[in-house]
Amino acid sequence: MGNNPTHLPSFLPRVPEFITLHQITKTFPPNVVALDGVSVSFEAGEIHAVVGENGAGKSTLMKVLYGLYRPDRGQILLGNQSVRFHSANDAIAAGVGMVHQEILLIPEYTVWQNVVLGAEPRTRWGTLDVARARGAVQAKIDAFGFNIDPDAPVGELSVAARQKVEILKLLYRDVSVLILDEPTAVLTPLEVPQLFAELRRLRAAGKTILFISHHLDEVLELSDRITVLRRGKKVDTVPAASTSKSELARMMVGRELMFTARRAAQPKGEIILRVEGVYYRDKQGVSRLRDVSLTVRAGEIVGIAGVEGNGQYELVNVLVGLEHAEAGSIFINGHDLTHASILERRRHIAFVAQDRSKLAASVSASVAENAIMTHHRLNEMFARRRWRLDMRQAGAFTEQMRKQFTVAMSRPDQPFRALSGGNQQKVILGRELLLERPFLLLDQPTRGLDVGSTEYVREQIAQQRDAGRAILLISSDLEELFSLTDRIAVMYRGAIVADVPTAQTDLEQVGAWMLQGRNQRTAQSA
Amino acid sequence: MNGQKLLAALAGIALALSIGALVLLIEGRSPLDVYAALVALSIGDVDKAAITIKNAVPLILTGLSASLAFASGPINLGQPGQFLMGALAVTLVGITVDLPAPLMIPLLMIAAAAGGALWAGAAAVLRHVFNMSEFIVTLMLNSIADLFTAWLITIGGPLAEAGALSPRSPAITSSGRLGEIGVFNLSILVMALVAVAIWYVFHRTRPGYEWRIAGQNALFARLGGCPVDRNFFIVMLLSGALAGLAGGLLVMSGPYRFIRGIGANYAWDGVMIAVVANSALGATVLYGLFFAALQTGALGMELLTAVPSEFIQVLQAVIVLVSVASRGYLSVLLDRLTLRRLSRPSPNRT
Repeated sequence: MGNNPTHLPSFLPRVPEFITLHQITKTFPPNVVALDGVSVSFEAGEIHAVVGENGAGKSTLMKVLYGLYRPDRGQILLGNQSVRFHSANDAIAAGVGMVHQEILLIPEYTVWQNVVLGAEPRTRWGTLDVARARGAVQAKIDAFGFNIDPDAPVGELSVAARQKVEILKLLYRDVSVLILDEPTAVLTPLEVPQLFAELRRLRAAGKTILFISHHLDEVLELSDRITVLRRGKKVDTVPAASTSKSELARMMVGRELMFTARRAAQPKGEIILRVEGVYYRDKQGVSRLRDVSLTVRAGEIVGIAGVEGNGQYELVNVLVGLEHAEAGSIFINGHDLTHASILERRRHIAFVAQDRSKLAASVSASVAENAIMTHHRLNEMFARRRWRLDMRQAGAFTEQMRKQFTVAMSRPDQPFRALSGGNQQKVILGRELLLERPFLLLDQPTRGLDVGSTEYVREQIAQQRDAGRAILLISSDLEELFSLTDRIAVMYRGAIVADVPTAQTDLEQVGAWMLQGRNQRTAQSA
Repeated sequence: MNGQKLLAALAGIALALSIGALVLLIEGRSPLDVYAALVALSIGDVDKAAITIKNAVPLILTGLSASLAFASGPINLGQPGQFLMGALAVTLVGITVDLPAPLMIPLLMIAAAAGGALWAGAAAVLRHVFNMSEFIVTLMLNSIADLFTAWLITIGGPLAEAGALSPRSPAITSSGRLGEIGVFNLSILVMALVAVAIWYVFHRTRPGYEWRIAGQNALFARLGGCPVDRNFFIVMLLSGALAGLAGGLLVMSGPYRFIRGIGANYAWDGVMIAVVANSALGATVLYGLFFAALQTGALGMELLTAVPSEFIQVLQAVIVLVSVASRGYLSVLLDRLTLRRLSRPSPNRT
């Protein structure tokens, strides 16, 4: 097969020994310093992670390296030679390629067609040399052990497979440095080990891999060295073998994380949420919830664990009223809400949805307009008037929320999409907590947040528990469940297969239930 | 932000006028003469301005009908049909009822709004019961309204004026006609009051807030407790009422009867204005006035400069294309600025 890449344009392959970023400074007008004299060197054949909170400068640093941003000061050295990238093409020509977070592929094209697009081998007549193109792609697939069919249309592939195609595109162009921006954010937990295995094979073949991640566990597992950025400055570069999660978190945040949710056992309150024997079938007739029963008491956090797609999504929908249960009943705070409207349910439920931009906010509306949702009907401050909605009052309400939940924003009429992810989540969380409803439904409340925001959200959850709210927390982060909950229920194929006090179980046991289910249910602890 | 939008709109119009000038130059005409004639004949003096604003009434009302719907979610493209049904309702009531003017005029306006709301409501009901897309249904109801009203006034038809030589209805009672205050037709006052009221409801009331949010993200509004389905219905009725009122006011201030082809393109122009204004209510009023000025100036310009009045249609089309295209570019630009801001460290992070 076409192992000899003679068809590639001659400017492509140039393997640098190593890359050094020297004293890189990047300022965005008017005066925001995104990078402040950052120096890092990346060695050939290493996996190097860059970590930091949102806004620490990780993405900017990678974009400078990749040629999307030009630094105000500082040098990029390839080997001993100073280079200046004016575009992504310059960077690729020098052997530096980036796998984008939003994946840009043509769905109608097959894998090999997408890979060669833009650098196609040609016949002497100038037409596409199909045999050589396909052969070259197959050769790369074989060489790096990617499990993918070069003739599959990209539109039919999973997100994980499309990510592979993006990586293949760069390998086909013979880059020696691959930059990955949050590569695991789009993957399900089961797909992550496969990606890591592939990245390790790339490292074994001498490629340098730089990746950005929020997940410190992943960073520690995969990388050789880790560079920590904080507010545009480099804190340190450390070997992964000689650091720990807590040390990294401390370097990122610049202080000790104070969060500890454990507390002395308290007498539990009355039952707030009672779900009894709920069944639900989706529109295709597939059974999604089977005999789900669950209780949450006041002052208690119950966690739902499970591999994604085992009914958590449907359970949330049935609870908030987007879907209706086929059988069974739902009581909240003593009210039978099985057939109630969404507004009726919202009198009792505060809800933080998983998908911020689809379910929990209108990104094109202002911060204030997002902040007063549901309050506009249920909060006495607004509901007092039958018709008029006082936008000045809405602004004052948002201001109060900004102070109470330390939201970084400039004005209440600022567009919501201009806020960072962590601040958007603070507005959403703040809105729901200020509703002061007895039952709090939290669906992946810390997903995609940086370490500082995650800690903040978890503290808020613990405070709500201490204030006597009943909390149902759905999370794919088992450590989060173990650090916050009083009880953990495990969902498997639409049923609750285990419901145990958190103190009486451990990660391994819950993990096993998530993967294999369980034959008999344990009695609920009252 | 708003200043930026205004700037973009003005730049778009300037660019469109320059393209129009280029067309005129190629034709061997003087753009300056043509534009000067346009200005002079549309807003050159108070009388001409009064006519321009009167002509803007149906454009603005149908424009508001479309903008209100588009910004709240429903895709109501039935303004032409709703316009005709409003005009028909005024005609029916106006030839059968005869009350003193202070009662007659409000009655006719209510009839006009009800006629349009009825036609839009039909589409809303079909969507609610059979889940039929209002986009298709409102479009198809346009043809039904057009042919139904044409049949009614055809010579020998049930609503045709006896002895008339062209398809038209009898005239409405004289107490239902809108006169002038000074040089300004009363329909202008009605339009202004309605525009202010709609703006207030949309931007300063709880239902308006719910409509706005549902127009951007219906699922978010629904989860937030807004009665999204009921709001959809109300917006459709209101949108239809605005288009119906446009048709009714046209009958009451102009020919005082239903004639074949009444209002010709007003409703489609209204939809076009809503698109150019990006469904913003204030911008819809301004663009309505602007397009009315172009159309009003066009006729006289033809006589003065021998440039065919069709040139104005070219100019309108260019304005639509330029403003919509530049808006796309502007939003890309804004997104880039936002992205850039997101990749900065926030200054007051805790």
